[in-house]
Amino acid sequence: MSKAAIDSRRLTKAYRSNDPPAVVDLTLTIEPGCVFGFLGPNGAGKTTVLKMLLGLTRPSSGDALLFGRSIRLPRARERVGYLPELFRYPPWLTPREVLDYHAALAAVPRDTRAAEIERVLSLVGLTSRAGDRTGTFSKGMQQRLGLAVALLGHPRLVFLDEPTSALDPVGRVDVRDIVRSLRERSTTVFINSHLLTEVEQLCDRVAFFRKGRIVADGPIDGIVGSSRGVRIKLDAHANGVATEALRPFGEALIHGDTIALSDIAAARVPDAVAALVANGMRIREVTPLSRTLEQRFLELMDD
Amino acid sequence: MLTIALDTIREVSRRKFAPAAMALTALVTVLTAWGFWSLAHLHAANGRPLSFVEVHSTTAFLVIFGAFLFSFVLAFGGAILSAPLLSSDLESGMLLPVLARPISRVSFVTGKAAALILVVGIYSAVAAVLQLLAVRLTTGYVPPHPFAAVGALWMLATVVMALGLALSVRLPALASSLIAVMAFGVSWMVGIVSSFGIAYHNAMLIRVGVISQLLVPTDAMWRIAVYQLEPVAMLGHNGGFGPLGPFSVVSPPPIAILWWTFAWIAVVLTFAAGTFSRRDA
Repeated sequence: MSKAAIDSRRLTKAYRSNDPPAVVDLTLTIEPGCVFGFLGPNGAGKTTVLKMLLGLTRPSSGDALLFGRSIRLPRARERVGYLPELFRYPPWLTPREVLDYHAALAAVPRDTRAAEIERVLSLVGLTSRAGDRTGTFSKGMQQRLGLAVALLGHPRLVFLDEPTSALDPVGRVDVRDIVRSLRERSTTVFINSHLLTEVEQLCDRVAFFRKGRIVADGPIDGIVGSSRGVRIKLDAHANGVATEALRPFGEALIHGDTIALSDIAAARVPDAVAALVANGMRIREVTPLSRTLEQRFLELMDD
Repeated sequence: MLTIALDTIREVSRRKFAPAAMALTALVTVLTAWGFWSLAHLHAANGRPLSFVEVHSTTAFLVIFGAFLFSFVLAFGGAILSAPLLSSDLESGMLLPVLARPISRVSFVTGKAAALILVVGIYSAVAAVLQLLAVRLTTGYVPPHPFAAVGALWMLATVVMALGLALSVRLPALASSLIAVMAFGVSWMVGIVSSFGIAYHNAMLIRVGVISQLLVPTDAMWRIAVYQLEPVAMLGHNGGFGPLGPFSVVSPPPIAILWWTFAWIAVVLTFAAGTFSRRDA
């Protein structure tokens, strides 16, 4: 049986005895190969969770295992990559030197080290700047280098804390492609991000974290929930006839040539369309009203 | 640990203070050579050249005085190099990706400390050899045990460096280096006070001096260095200050203080590694 990539058991962190704990009894299992999105508002404790899993912060109680090894042991971090949210690299080093240093720390075999460094430099688009001092780098380029460091040595688990916060749109697309390629290689990816559309595009599973606790956890479809509404677009402005025709199907909101039916079962949608056609209206488009991850996020955080 | 140590040495060599220290050392060596050359060619008031004994006794005192100033440079250097290595680098985010690697915090601190001890040692040796060579070539004078003296000064700098490193686990760089340098300064002042105790047979002052040497053994290391640089004929002369100054000792501290200093450095570095292991990043 393969071991879970992350298996935390009642992980708790209280920075000061008088303050409320930053993380409370976090129990979470993430299977290998999963791209996991960890979402929550600022101050929810997401980075504390990540730092505990990486051995950077000591849990007050509880434990967690990375591929079966306790996070209290340095060996748990073998073949684990990490891109911190706030970081900088020594300004006197070049990207190639930074990567060489991390390759040595990550025990990347000496004979494959040079090729591995070139691979990750190319992956993040930094090959042409590999000989420049990082002190001259913009924040976005530092983030690309951080990503290269995290991907060094083909990690089996990668933690990305706000991986696109400093990147331009091109950089964001690059990161999305990199995460997709990691998924194809069955690498487990743990993403902390505020960019919900990105998480929605990339993640197999998400958890919402609030005040140190998980308030929802599951596949994106399960978290967002199924929709019960449709949007119907006509080839002309809708009028009172449409409202009347749709009365048996629930409340219809009309705006120009668009009608929104917010509470209709999928099975009754053809009947609603037929009712409009029967009243002389021509239909151009029928689309389900889907709830976004962002809407779900706001709902959960409002509770 | 080796990877951390090598990276620390690279860091020290790349930062701006490395070329600055090298340039200043070269400048001081040139000035030293010029100064001692002038001394060797001085004439007394009656126009006769200074005798061999006069030149050598003056040179011997000036070498000790130079070593005294050099001990300050090493102490400051040790404190300034060690102070930003833990807390400041952690808070700036520089250490986060490093500490997330499969390495223990103890090996991280050990690697940093080993590199600094080596760097300070190499610098002490190179600077001292350059200075003593300049003295030897211009005046012909060589102190009795120069290498032992340099070793003692290296230990002195290592004590300050270890203290700075231990403080930097929790304190910002400026506070760590200031406290470490202040501890060095206080130890030096208490050493002078205790020399009054020795001169006037005051048991209380002598005891204060011993306690101070045990708490921060920099003054003990300085006294060992002085003893190794002092020609036998000058023991207790102190450049005319008699026994009440930092430039001469009649007898060095007992050899046990050397072992105590080794143990002191080991304990302080172990404490630094232990507290850093428990520190949240």
